[in-house]
Amino acid sequence: MHGPSAGPGPAGLRFLGQEEAQAIDQELFTEYKFSVDQLMELAGLSCATAIAKAYPPSSFTTSQPAVLVVCGPGNNGGDGLVCARHLKMFGYQPTVYYPKRSSKPLFEGLTTQCKKMDIPFLPEFPTEAAFIDELYGLVVDAIFGFSFTGAVREPFGSILSTLERVTVPIASIDIPSGWDVEKGKADGLQPDMLISLTAPKKAAMHFTGRYHFLGGRFVPPALQEKYALNLPAYPGTDCVLQLT
Amino acid sequence: MPGPRALLGLGLLAAAAAARAGGRCPERGWSWGRGWNRSWGRERGWNRSRGWERGRCLPRRAMHGPSAGPGPAGLRFLGQEEAQAIDQELFTEYKFSVDQLMELAGLSCATAIAKAYPPSSFTTSQPAVLVVCGPGNNGGDGLVCARHLKMFGYQPTVYYPKRSSKPLFEGLTTQCKKMDIPFLPEFPTEAAFIDELYGLVVDAIFGFSFTGAVREPFGSILSTLERVTVPIASIDIPSGWDVEKGKADGLQPDMLISLTAPKKAAMHFTGRYHFLGGRFVPPALQEKYALNLPAYPGTDCVLQLT
Repeated sequence: MHGPSAGPGPAGLRFLGQEEAQAIDQELFTEYKFSVDQLMELAGLSCATAIAKAYPPSSFTTSQPAVLVVCGPGNNGGDGLVCARHLKMFGYQPTVYYPKRSSKPLFEGLTTQCKKMDIPFLPEFPTEAAFIDELYGLVVDAIFGFSFTGAVREPFGSILSTLERVTVPIASIDIPSGWDVEKGKADGLQPDMLISLTAPKKAAMHFTGRYHFLGGRFVPPALQEKYALNLPAYPGTDCVLQLT
Repeated sequence: MPGPRALLGLGLLAAAAAARAGGRCPERGWSWGRGWNRSWGRERGWNRSRGWERGRCLPRRAMHGPSAGPGPAGLRFLGQEEAQAIDQELFTEYKFSVDQLMELAGLSCATAIAKAYPPSSFTTSQPAVLVVCGPGNNGGDGLVCARHLKMFGYQPTVYYPKRSSKPLFEGLTTQCKKMDIPFLPEFPTEAAFIDELYGLVVDAIFGFSFTGAVREPFGSILSTLERVTVPIASIDIPSGWDVEKGKADGLQPDMLISLTAPKKAAMHFTGRYHFLGGRFVPPALQEKYALNLPAYPGTDCVLQLT
């Protein structure tokens, strides 16, 4: 645990603090003039691609490759909606639970896109972990991301309690939901997969699941250098990179 | 973990094998199957000079049934109005934003280019690519493509003479500039200058909405491009071509990346590489228009048709 890299993964790869992650995000929008639409599309596509690499449809024991995508109220939820849509294009059967919906046009658009792709939206969350295990071969955790601070508001507290008892694999987008973005949460969600977007955050140092992917292949080289991200090279034209 | 070049090679082989579905040439009675070794082209040899006719079912293709075109059985080639109708439906009914679909389209183009012309295949000292962007959405696709080519290790340069003032396009231009992608102040005056400096040209001038006469400066640009000898990759429609009838004396690109579904002009395409991109068409829309798109391989955002 020495030097600037103090973390697992390729030598030199940096694990970001919360403020750094927020600063990089802001710079992508204000300096580089990316739109949220663009980056969210690439982020969600990365998540679906990583999931497809680690959990191909043939690996599901459910009769269909059924996936439950749980979307939170903010951008992490938006990433989940994009991910759900691409999972459908890849041959999965996603179902979305999206209890606190943003009224921003971007999110209304993403929701419509999913519905028009015949992706069901559950009216309520399964009450028992066993029901989730029965119906789905994978859960995508798209509840909270790198902006998360403080207490978890309902209904997400109950949802996370249930997810903590689920036995099918959980794939978390960017930060395992409920974890402190830097310190993790020892008694919190234990996902099997983490897809770090842009660069891993310090919470990822506490990740003990099988699959850690990097996604969000859109960080301009100048920004990578400015923050000394030391990202390893993505293979060819892949939009994801398997770190572990 | 295998190196990037090996993975890219595997990806190329997998895409080609998957896309090269078996079929029959109804007029000539012979058939071709999956894989390289049964390809007609293999017997003729891969000749990299321009104008070589690929050894497949030769230009007088069977024109029966809904498929009336080359490529996988049943794949439909769209008329201009249909293409515009599908585009409109994606925005008005499915509520996609232009940002989203343009990002996926441009990413497809860069990915297809990387599969067909990997950086190692360039004879220029750097994998230098000239991206020529028109005034509309095809130009926007080109700007997105240029940015992803840069991420993939190419050295793109953009020529974008008639810039849209819409925020989307201003954003795309800024993104390119902040990635140190140069924007030429003027177009190279001679085809030979382009051949000298670049290993590939991306034609992102006109797309499926193109009708009528070509306005300057694009007429002169296309004249120059028609004399270029390095490969040209056209986004969606070879620029200057009628979207349905083609243009026999027009641009002859080496690659065509059809977005969403191929347009009828693609039936007149004689270059080496025809890719499908824009993997975002919801199944219900594919069915409504009977697109009969072949399956994309795995999670790839492009599908090699020929």
